[in-house]
Amino acid sequence: MKIYNKIVVISTVICMLSLFGCEKLLEQTPRSSITPAFLATEAGVQGGITGVYQNLRSLWGSENYFYALQVGTDEVITGGSISANGLSLSTYANFVSNNTVYNDVFGTLFRNAYQDINTLNGVLQFGQTAFTDADVQKQYLAQAKFLRALLYFELVRTFGDVPLHTAFITSPSLSDSRAPISDVYALIIKDLTEASTELQTKSGEPITSTNISPFAGYAATRATALFLLSKVYLTRGWSIAAQISDFNNALTTAKNLINSASTYGKGLYSSYDQSYSEASDISNKEILFAVEHNADPKYGEYSLAAATPVNFNGWAFFFRPNYPTIVANYPTNSGPQLVTRDLANGRPFQRIRPNADWVETQLFADKTNDYRYWNTFQTTWIANKAETTPRGTLTIGADTALWTPPYDPGDVKRAAFKGVIFMRPSLATAATGTNKNPYTPTMYPSVKKFDNPGRPAINDASLRPLVLMRFSELYLIAAEAAFKLNDFSTEATMLSVLRKRAAVRPANVPPAPAGAVAQMEITPAQASAGGIDLILDERSRELFGESVRWYDLVRTQSLVRRVKALNPQALPNIQDFMILRPIPQAQIDLVTVGPKFPQNTGF
Amino acid sequence: MYVKITAHRCMFSSCANVRLWRVMKSVFFFVLIGCLQVSASSLAQISLNKTNASLRETLNDIRKQSGYSLLADADLLKLGRLVTIHLNNVPVTQALDEALVGQPFSYQINGRTIVIYAKDKGVTEQVVRKLDRVTGKVIDEKGEPIIGATVRVKSDPKIATVTDINGAFSMDVPDNVILLVSFLGYETHEVITRGSTTLNISLKPVSKDLNEVVVVGYGTQRKRDVTGAVTSVSAETLQQVPAQTNVVNQLQGRVAGLDISTTGNAPGSTSQIRLRGERSFATSNSAADATNAPLFVLDGVPFINGSLNDINPNDILSVEVLKDASATAIYGSRASGGVILITTKRGKNGPTIVNLNTTTGITNAIGSYSFMNAEQYIAFKQESIAGNSQTPNTTSYPITVAEQNGINNGTNTDWVSTILRPGYITDNQLRLSGGTENTQFSISTGYRDEKGIQYVQHYKRGNLLFSLDQTISKVFKVGLTSNNSLSNRDNIGDRLATASTISPLLSPYNSDGSINVRPAVGTLGELTTINPLTLRSSAIQAITRRLNTNNVLYGEANIYAGLKYRVNASLAYNQSQANSYNPVNNIVNTNTTQDQSNASISNTENYVWLLENILTYDKTFADKHHLIFTGLFSAEKSHTQGSGMNAIGIPADYLKSYNLFHGVSNSITNANFPYSERGLVSYMARAFYGFNDKYLLTATVRRDGSSVLGPGNQYFTYPAFALGWNVDRENFAKSLPWMNSLKLRLGYGVTADQNINPYQILGNLSAVAYNFGTNHQNGYLVTALPNADLRFEHTNNINLGIDFGVLNNRISGSVDVYTQKTFDVLQVLSLPLSNGASTTLVNAGNSKGKGMEITLSSRNLERDFKWNTDFNISFQRSEITELHDGLQQDIGNGWFVGQPFNVIYDYKKTGIWQTDEATEAAVYGARPGWIKVEDLNDDKKIDANDRQLLGSYQPDYITGMTNRFSFKGFDLTAVAFARMGQMVSVNYLNQADGFFNIGRMNQYNLDYWTPTNPTNGWPRPDAGRSPLYASTLQYQNGSFIKMRTISLGYNFPKSILKDGVVKSLKITAVVNNPFTIYAPLVRKGLAFDPESNGYGGQDSGASGFSGNALGRALTIGTYIPQTRVWSIGINAGF
Repeated sequence: MKIYNKIVVISTVICMLSLFGCEKLLEQTPRSSITPAFLATEAGVQGGITGVYQNLRSLWGSENYFYALQVGTDEVITGGSISANGLSLSTYANFVSNNTVYNDVFGTLFRNAYQDINTLNGVLQFGQTAFTDADVQKQYLAQAKFLRALLYFELVRTFGDVPLHTAFITSPSLSDSRAPISDVYALIIKDLTEASTELQTKSGEPITSTNISPFAGYAATRATALFLLSKVYLTRGWSIAAQISDFNNALTTAKNLINSASTYGKGLYSSYDQSYSEASDISNKEILFAVEHNADPKYGEYSLAAATPVNFNGWAFFFRPNYPTIVANYPTNSGPQLVTRDLANGRPFQRIRPNADWVETQLFADKTNDYRYWNTFQTTWIANKAETTPRGTLTIGADTALWTPPYDPGDVKRAAFKGVIFMRPSLATAATGTNKNPYTPTMYPSVKKFDNPGRPAINDASLRPLVLMRFSELYLIAAEAAFKLNDFSTEATMLSVLRKRAAVRPANVPPAPAGAVAQMEITPAQASAGGIDLILDERSRELFGESVRWYDLVRTQSLVRRVKALNPQALPNIQDFMILRPIPQAQIDLVTVGPKFPQNTGF
Repeated sequence: MYVKITAHRCMFSSCANVRLWRVMKSVFFFVLIGCLQVSASSLAQISLNKTNASLRETLNDIRKQSGYSLLADADLLKLGRLVTIHLNNVPVTQALDEALVGQPFSYQINGRTIVIYAKDKGVTEQVVRKLDRVTGKVIDEKGEPIIGATVRVKSDPKIATVTDINGAFSMDVPDNVILLVSFLGYETHEVITRGSTTLNISLKPVSKDLNEVVVVGYGTQRKRDVTGAVTSVSAETLQQVPAQTNVVNQLQGRVAGLDISTTGNAPGSTSQIRLRGERSFATSNSAADATNAPLFVLDGVPFINGSLNDINPNDILSVEVLKDASATAIYGSRASGGVILITTKRGKNGPTIVNLNTTTGITNAIGSYSFMNAEQYIAFKQESIAGNSQTPNTTSYPITVAEQNGINNGTNTDWVSTILRPGYITDNQLRLSGGTENTQFSISTGYRDEKGIQYVQHYKRGNLLFSLDQTISKVFKVGLTSNNSLSNRDNIGDRLATASTISPLLSPYNSDGSINVRPAVGTLGELTTINPLTLRSSAIQAITRRLNTNNVLYGEANIYAGLKYRVNASLAYNQSQANSYNPVNNIVNTNTTQDQSNASISNTENYVWLLENILTYDKTFADKHHLIFTGLFSAEKSHTQGSGMNAIGIPADYLKSYNLFHGVSNSITNANFPYSERGLVSYMARAFYGFNDKYLLTATVRRDGSSVLGPGNQYFTYPAFALGWNVDRENFAKSLPWMNSLKLRLGYGVTADQNINPYQILGNLSAVAYNFGTNHQNGYLVTALPNADLRFEHTNNINLGIDFGVLNNRISGSVDVYTQKTFDVLQVLSLPLSNGASTTLVNAGNSKGKGMEITLSSRNLERDFKWNTDFNISFQRSEITELHDGLQQDIGNGWFVGQPFNVIYDYKKTGIWQTDEATEAAVYGARPGWIKVEDLNDDKKIDANDRQLLGSYQPDYITGMTNRFSFKGFDLTAVAFARMGQMVSVNYLNQADGFFNIGRMNQYNLDYWTPTNPTNGWPRPDAGRSPLYASTLQYQNGSFIKMRTISLGYNFPKSILKDGVVKSLKITAVVNNPFTIYAPLVRKGLAFDPESNGYGGQDSGASGFSGNALGRALTIGTYIPQTRVWSIGINAGF
């Protein structure tokens, strides 16, 4: 009987135990994930801001957003491997009603921007009570204000009227509507005005009370907020929401920042190439704001030579021609390739290429005094293999294997040149003699400003900071504002600062011709006569390929005019309404309650 | 004393039920030529013409002609005299009178039953004498001895014995007693002894009638008492598809309503399992699996967090599929997807039995993808240049120098073949079982080794199953089941897509015979295209080792007559460790230097504990009132956690991932650290009442409390009721002698679903990280909004069923019709992008489903040559009846009211623009050779308004058929199944990666448009752009009929094995996946295998569906093909 008793006792105990545990069984305690309640803590607020910084990587540097900012302008035409989305945005063909483009490109912006804005709204809401130290609170929340303004600015100039949310969304809504751009601009200006006095003066500057600041590198400072504020004033000044004081505010804000640059540790380098050099990346005084990357797998989201990297800086990829396909007996398909892929020349994505007919002949008509053409474009590929072409054997590291001069070197020089020469098609057709190949969608001059030879592996994306705001652009903003105020003198002064610097050449090239600097000076009369195109051309020379072009053209109401005049690929398809982007179809489809979410006219 | 004479011989004279066969024929390819007996029930006019016939035969003829039933003691009738009788069209009574003239019997007619009884006691006493020794042998239908059969005296059950290892028995009994010979799974046989005698008793297996005992959850029931829709699958049926990794493959096409679709073909892959379709319209495929897959219950314990690979299919005794809510409601909150009960084999009272089962086979791909060969590829490239719509007559992907060399050398490489190899399967099982009256045990151990047809795909598993049942006294019994498995799964993933896109003009080897590591020199992919031959490198590591142990300990106390208490304590634990190492210069890692090698290691562990207290009361009152009451209280907790780490720069390949410290740098990722716990508290009560085995009632109520739901909504109660009527027990049914059994069932019940991940009511921040210069910071983004109001999703189900057996049970089967309505569907709601968080979880929307299931078994031929057929077909329609907020459609999630859950929504391809349509094409921005899609609203532009529903992934019907032929020792089994009427997305037909027709990579060989080949099939190759509306190319008819398995077995006769150690021996030759019978997709040359091989991967096209929505659909992509397995199996009993 003993054993029976034992069993009875054990069974009873088990039953009792199972009854007691019940209520506890139904409790929930997450341990490896974080809930929104965490935002109400100091670490949560800081984490929210960091999260938004991280999420900027999903836009700037990505292929689709690059298309949105860069293509379909006067600067560039399609490269050999442009994607279907890029093709639509580049040529405006098959663009209207193209849901894939709407969602892939503009849906990504829309989704990420509002995700960031909601997180920032949470930060601003919970941040009111999360901090014990007032200075810390002020500086952290100023970051949130700056970022919110940055994202709303991106939205409003892309889509026009957009939903305006300033409170943290705790219960989801299936309806939404678009606020007029004037309301959106008002919030942006309010946020930036506050941020411009509350942010850190210099990046990573310790907060007095705690002696630390996490926002080092190229995180926002007061200078960043002022830069953006001047650009926002300028943009609103051109828009239907313009206020009388906008251009004046833009000019004043920009000029004040230029004048007090040393307060923020910012300023202009003496030569153009310095501001783009990889060596300057650690502390570049011209960078006011950048999306950062590094080789850390976690913080830099670096993935070694990934075929499709995540949140990467692709700017160094997208212009690359497919130089490794050029073989010794080009254009016939025989002989060895002359240049193999290497760190210096990078991974050929060939998504887009310079609009050579305009860039080489008109935009950079002066390549002698203005050295920026050579600072911007890669025109030579040095042999990294000792191969033999019909014209001779190449010496590794010395001979140029591939050459894309913006001019015809002449029959004699071409015949003697051991490598292969490519010229813009009009030149190639007109030229006589040998070794004269036209640019193709796969071989053309590349943009070299974003090159990152210091990255670990050949196929890696660039680890350099991806610059959204450069000090030099302040002069262009000021000039444009002055132009709109008919203050051609100030316009000329501002443009001349950049132009004169453009004549300064890097140390390792032959010196500039005498008087080059003076030649670059521009007069108020020229400024007056040049109209807005003068400024737009100067912008392109200064900021070629830097993903500001589309907005520059749209802001100055020049997009359709200039694209029709200069970009033959887009000419047949671009229409006047295309100065706004389509609302992503997903947003329209998912607003399922209340009034339909309106699409922009024409789309 | 009376037995009902049911034995009557088959006449094989007329073909019956032609209509039935026509139905089957129309569905299946088989032409059935079976002949079955008709029992024509004529009005009682008897004609007899007999000379010296036995009384039994004479009476039987009267019974047949009259259509009456006959009750008589068969043995007593043997005392009757021979009969000579000549009658023509006389009434029954006259026939009986004449037949019984001079016999010691009289008769009585009650209703439509003739009862024959002895005229005086003397007749019966005449057959009673004293103790005699009776010996005998019990054999089965194949002549094999039955070991452990019970032989007992009917009138005195204490006199009993069991058969020995030879099936023999010996016992002393009074003369002229009736012996009952019984064995589980066989019909109990009665035999009268007459003096000392030797009996040869052949037991018939229990036919699929209503007498089986089935497992119904928290107990067993006689099948004739079952009131729910339950399908039972025996081990024998499962083993007709032998040598499988898991039971899922064996169940495919075998159970009406159970839809199993392949989602991968690497060894150890599992499948999508749906019972009676889907109810929850879940956002992603993983969510759909979580909420719509059936609950598996292993030996009475819910099998949570387990993998079906952990259960050795050879250990399975039976699988019960509980379909309707009246059957599943006892499992409450996890039962809305249906319940599948798996019962493993246990020991039985009797001598120890040793059984060895070994299978060896070779595996090969059932076919190959038709990628372009060299010639086709060159032509395609040339056409893409000619067709360049952007920069005419150019290409950015010209023939490279290496390819030109290939053309010159006549290179034509089939890259896919470089990663494939012949595989094999070996499977060895050893089982010992036996026991005494009080102790029964079973030990089963197995080892399976399955080498995949792609390099670095291999699955090995060892199993150990132990069970013990110990009766301690009349009151107490305890037992244990321990199911353990250790598996190693090597799986680098399917590399076929990568290999297949490499140019066939490139050679895998250099001229010196070495491997050409980077063949695609001169292309954009020159660094990333690595020779697939590198997949053969032994340095690659991609292994997941998994240890799983499921243990159930039970104690049972028979407290009082019929009152039983049982406690089940279960602990399941599994741990998976994944080790991965990717060497450089390899298809798995395209980097070049050793410091870029990468390794990772991750661990996941789960445990589930469960305590169940079950009280059962089973009592029959007054012989007619059968009552069973079951009460349950249970508590359960499951726990998951994990960890993992990555390293880059392992200095030497041999280190693999064994010590990540050797790496140049280490990192961890968020996804490697899951943690979740969920609890479930349940109360259940079930009452069964049966009146006279005729009228049955089951009532169930269960209440579940779940931790994953919001406060105040954590509990839910599920009622269920079911009625059963055994019509065959009614008197009037006795006049239908062709009807052996008939039961009607009607059930109603509620089940629920709470199968969402824990913590969702709390919302979520996704964790990210950023570098402010060199200052590293962690960050968070709000991605999912909290919803504290989440509650149970629930399903109301009504099922009407009929089970029948007719013509001496030659044909038996079931028909079920049902409807199910689901409310408060737990779904991830996609929010407008401007909400910030992209999703939130809500209870919103309703769905409904309805369907019909037919299961038929027939014994077509029954003599020496036997032929049996099992057939099932099911029709299931699911549709969304309501979306959130009254919406008619939710495009982002791909949901439309009135439609199934997974539909195709896109533009409709109407053809290809032809040369003479250039003007019209230009209106749409298209050119000849481009895809033409329907302008639905004829507004001369193609936009979102032109999207339309093009079909769904829901099959019209699924069906399966098993035919089994046997002759002497041979048997031949053919298992076929079909899935008809559904669409499928064939991913490679549109090349969703955008390379289609740019001419950059090799691809599927299709009949594309050229000016001289104006097809309407595929667009013109265009080096300038990927085609517009390419997504429309991928939607295809996915119907198919496939032969799953054909097996031929031979049972060595006893005469050969006589006196040997081996008691039984069977050799079986099997081919799995021998051929496809019907598939439009294959016929059109668009695939070689019509079965799905994965989830998602299709191009969204214009649908506007989210990636998750697209990911729910079953698709065909360039993945590892299904394998054809040729195997030989040996089964030996000792």
